[in-house]
Amino acid sequence: MKRHPHAWRYLSTAFLLAVLGIAILVQIVRIQISPAVAGAIDQSNYVWKDFYPPRGEIYDRHGSLLAGNKTVYEIGLDLTAKPDMPTVMLALQMSGIDLNDVNSRISQAPVDAQYIILDDFVSADKADYLMTLQEKAHGDPTGKTLDAVYLKAHYARSYPENDLASNVLGFVTEDNHGYLGIEEKYDNILAGIPVRMAVPADPRRATEYPTIPPGQTIILTIDREIQASIEKILDQALVSTGASSGTIVVMDPRTGEILAMSSTPRLNLNDYQSITIVFPGETPFNRAISQAYEPGSVAKILTMAGALDSGVVQPDTVTFVPQYIVVGGSTIYNWDGAAWGYQDMTGCLANSLNVCLAWISSEKMHSDSFYSYMQRFGLGHATGIDLAQETSGRLKLPGDGDWYPVDLGTNAFGQGVSVTPIQMVMAASALANDGKMVYPHVLYAQIQGGKQSNTKTQIVGTPISANTAHSISEMLANGLETESSTALVPGYRIAGKTGTAQIPLPGGGYDQNNINATFIGWGPVDDPRFIVYIWLEKPQSNKAASVVAAPIFKQVVEKLVVLMDIPPDAIRLQVIGR
Amino acid sequence: MNNVTQIVQKVRQAPWRVQRQWIGLFLLALVLMAMVAAIYLNVTVRATLVGRETISLQATITTNQRINADSETQLARLISIEAMQQRADAMGFQPANPDDIIYVTVPGYVVPSAVDMSTPGSNPPAVPIILPEYTESWFDYFMNQQASSASAGGQP
Repeated sequence: MKRHPHAWRYLSTAFLLAVLGIAILVQIVRIQISPAVAGAIDQSNYVWKDFYPPRGEIYDRHGSLLAGNKTVYEIGLDLTAKPDMPTVMLALQMSGIDLNDVNSRISQAPVDAQYIILDDFVSADKADYLMTLQEKAHGDPTGKTLDAVYLKAHYARSYPENDLASNVLGFVTEDNHGYLGIEEKYDNILAGIPVRMAVPADPRRATEYPTIPPGQTIILTIDREIQASIEKILDQALVSTGASSGTIVVMDPRTGEILAMSSTPRLNLNDYQSITIVFPGETPFNRAISQAYEPGSVAKILTMAGALDSGVVQPDTVTFVPQYIVVGGSTIYNWDGAAWGYQDMTGCLANSLNVCLAWISSEKMHSDSFYSYMQRFGLGHATGIDLAQETSGRLKLPGDGDWYPVDLGTNAFGQGVSVTPIQMVMAASALANDGKMVYPHVLYAQIQGGKQSNTKTQIVGTPISANTAHSISEMLANGLETESSTALVPGYRIAGKTGTAQIPLPGGGYDQNNINATFIGWGPVDDPRFIVYIWLEKPQSNKAASVVAAPIFKQVVEKLVVLMDIPPDAIRLQVIGR
Repeated sequence: MNNVTQIVQKVRQAPWRVQRQWIGLFLLALVLMAMVAAIYLNVTVRATLVGRETISLQATITTNQRINADSETQLARLISIEAMQQRADAMGFQPANPDDIIYVTVPGYVVPSAVDMSTPGSNPPAVPIILPEYTESWFDYFMNQQASSASAGGQP
């Protein structure tokens, strides 16, 4: 048979196409299965990316935001894009960005820098304006563009209530670290974990993008309304009494939940940089947990509770209270230097008689029993409250180098022993809560994965029996009623005790011109819902806590019963009786 | 039978027919390969588009989260204690005193002590959002099919 004259052309074309097809197939298979090729593709298709999880939010117990997040911007300049510097600087100036700071950053940049951060934590308003300018300048024929300017959005902390509960919250610095208060204590769970990692540029591998869990949201035991009220009362009290500082703590004695806590000064947390101005020198950020002081007569409630619980005295035990008593070779006088004659234990507390309490500690309880009770009440040890920088105060014990026999007498009425307000509040919770002392805490709940886990009430000890607790509450309530205290709130039965303490001087002895005025109280007596602790440092209007601190306690309780929906005793008991 | 023998004989007598057969077979193979390649390309393109959309949505989610955080903080500012007190004062309200309050017994009513911020259903769905069809290669597909058929065959 005769071959077609142009058959070789068809055959060549068919051969070439076949070779090409086979080559393509071989290449497809090779790319698919070759580890070397796959590795090369992987390496060249990953890009570094930063993932910043938002910091967990902080709410009060009713869901009001106390600490949230806002968007701010980092402004950077790509030097490889040959930016027109006068244009860039003009745009920054027009956007309200501080050029001194920008110039400083530029001058400090390395010579071979390719990218400079011109400013950071720039507000959204300024960044928006700069973006508008950037858009307008884009494609400018003269080359005066802002294309080399990059704006990178990220989160910054924001406190909508400014200085409200600032002593409790603490603050977050620009490096996303929490300092003081809750922000420091729970920094690890609030912050989340910023991640810088290589992510595939191949869009088909979008599932490999990491999911960065945000910081956990937390709910505090703080009640915003109560907090605002006590801060207002405290500020007014400082003005009216001339005190140098003040502290108020409100706690639920049944659970240990801190409902409000404030001390002066307070800081606008959105302007935390001014902390060194607001808190000069050694000023504590939160006096309620960080400043120990000699509490004075409020400590008598613990001495009396220990004495009643150990059975050495009864509420109706009567003793003669002379002008003074000698303990360990030193003479202890009553607050007025007078003899008070025969008094029962309620009278000793109501009249705040140092001699009576020193007699109880030194002649009835003796040191072993007395200090055992003081330790069971937690004195000398930090409470462990979930706030940063708590101090433990000091309870000298027999055997310590600086303990003297007279301390057994003076400690009974709150001298020679130092405590923080929160320690006294925790100790008093045993008196208000059937003898059970609760752990004070500020964290109400954590939110994780949409689930809320609440903090459980912790009983840290039972220093006294329920009977003793009821007895001491009754004695204190009767005492206030007998003396017609200015702390009394009409319609509500309250237990409470004043403390007027001299201030020890660094070189020894006591300041004759200044005092610490304290009041601790709880109510309603038959079913306590709150413990309130008031401490005014160096009040000038009067030198008696019953005059300066007791009325403030009354003001606080009047607010509390409204905000906590606590009806007057008569109505409440009537409802219970049904 | 006779007819078949005749056809085979004719084909052998005309070699160009054999050549046509081979060319036809070759073209058929090419068409099949082109079809496979087209399907592969189609799937790849769809996977890429979905991936791009996913990345774009992730960026949108991040932006929306920031906007939400901004809005939440802004709202909190608007209803802050200070702002609300100023507004209440301006409207002529004043804080209640204990004497101003009338208590009424409401059977069964319990004063809420604190907020519950649990959000049921906020957990991520158990089913993957992006189906494997959009991400796996042919080889992965065949391997998975083989594995699943092997495991299915292993059942009694």
